[in-house]
Amino acid sequence: MVVDALLSGGVQAGGETVIDKLDRPGSTLVSLLEQADWAILIDAIQGNGQPGTIRRFDQRDWPAYRGGLSSHGFGVLDALMLARELGSLPSRLDLYGIEIGSASPGEEARSEILAASAQLAQRIAADLADPIR
Amino acid sequence: MTDQQRSVAIHVPVLARVEGEGALDLRIEDGDIAELRLRIFEPPRFFEKFLEGRHYTEIPDMVARICGICPVAYQVTAAQALEKLFGVELDPWARDMRRVFYCGEWIQSHSLHIHLLAAPDFFGCNNAIELARIAPEEVRRGLRIQALGNELMDLFGARSVHPVGVRIGGFHGAPSLARIQAMREKLRAALPEAEALIRWAAAIPMPQDDQAFVSVATHHPTDYAIERGQIAVSDGLRIEADAFDAHFAEQHVPHSTALFSTYHHQPYLVGPLARLNLNHVRLPEQVRALLTESGLALPSRNLFHSLLARAVEILLALHEALRLLDGYRVPDSPWVPVTPRAGVAIGCTEAPRGLLWHRYEMDGEGRVVNARIVPPTSQNQGRIEEDLRLSLLNFGLDHPDDALRLHCEKVIRNYDPCISCATHFLRFNLDRA
Repeated sequence: MVVDALLSGGVQAGGETVIDKLDRPGSTLVSLLEQADWAILIDAIQGNGQPGTIRRFDQRDWPAYRGGLSSHGFGVLDALMLARELGSLPSRLDLYGIEIGSASPGEEARSEILAASAQLAQRIAADLADPIR
Repeated sequence: MTDQQRSVAIHVPVLARVEGEGALDLRIEDGDIAELRLRIFEPPRFFEKFLEGRHYTEIPDMVARICGICPVAYQVTAAQALEKLFGVELDPWARDMRRVFYCGEWIQSHSLHIHLLAAPDFFGCNNAIELARIAPEEVRRGLRIQALGNELMDLFGARSVHPVGVRIGGFHGAPSLARIQAMREKLRAALPEAEALIRWAAAIPMPQDDQAFVSVATHHPTDYAIERGQIAVSDGLRIEADAFDAHFAEQHVPHSTALFSTYHHQPYLVGPLARLNLNHVRLPEQVRALLTESGLALPSRNLFHSLLARAVEILLALHEALRLLDGYRVPDSPWVPVTPRAGVAIGCTEAPRGLLWHRYEMDGEGRVVNARIVPPTSQNQGRIEEDLRLSLLNFGLDHPDDALRLHCEKVIRNYDPCISCATHFLRFNLDRA
């Protein structure tokens, strides 16, 4: 949704910018990050916040890794942890989560989540226009 | 209390993940194993019901959803079964590309298992992140090989997770010559990496184990069997897939909702080591030479050689993909027309984890009356239990509980069942008498 909002807002891929929707990338996220100087990652999150809440995670926010890696449950945190260990993280990584509350397969996104996606897209578009911000 | 009198109950309440939700119960009394039960709950059972009433054109996409790691195996097995029933003769292009597509899945699944699941066990690491600390180049190499396998799946399936490229009669589309040429370059560049992986895997100190077991795999007169072949057993039996039920039985056991498979009333092994035991003479010369160099004597009776077997099959899959993509042409049509007919469709192929067998009863309009899918994980369950029992006795029951637990995990992971991921999360309820 954020990618759609970015594209409809006029942000174009090309040159040194790649805009992609990833479908459960698992450990392949590591090699994608390895190729980037600056990565902006956005994922849905289910936390304690209200649906539509945007959260930004600094590396200091990452929890200590306690789980084991599994082939089927290799998530974003697993990939980021592994990339960090391999020295493959880009020099700038902006990690965002949008609270989605409860969700069922096939369910339409709620209006507050759509609004949050549009808001985050605006913020990212501004960052891309002025990376020093 | 002496060690010999120690009573230990290890209960792993939930091994929750995908096609292998399960649990492990182990009770040791008076220095002997009093109870050992691996309980797995198989979601493919539900898929069999979902498939009823569905048109044959929907089956490849539906069965691809059974597993996120080995969707190609399910697609190709279903297609093979239905094409046989419908009397479809695949274009040689489609036949070859099915094997290439399947090679992609072997490459990604095996590399994932070696580097993210199995190898950490043998370096004293809890997970691949810890392994990356001490062997970063090897983990990077493994991720590169895995990504290449995914890319190969994506080439023919439009995506690597739950791909959508296969149709009954061939493929929905054919990659362009330019994309194939680019892929060939990448495959060629990966050969030395896969060779180095075999040397690395062969050098990892493995526990010594020696068990008698039955190996079962498909077998082909000229190829290292992947997407076609008869079913072969290490006792010499060779049968067509249609005769599976005459020799293999699935049965309910009280402690599991999954079906346990037996061959002539005994557990059996499917998967890379079973394949290598039965089919190593079909490996290409370059792969066989490296296998000889590794020192692995075949047939092997040590399941800890499974990791090396996977590495060998990665190199095989790279060579096979390169061979079959040599002289690639874009076909006039990537599929041939299909006319459904009523009857029973049976197929079997080699999923990364082992023999995968499908049976579909179809009506005259090409709809599924009923379906039966026998995945490798359920076939290996009885063998895993037997292996756990023998390995623990060989290892020694007087080890600390954590060591026993880790050893059980290592043994289970040799089989790369889908529960291998969940076994990282083993929690113990421990009672001492």
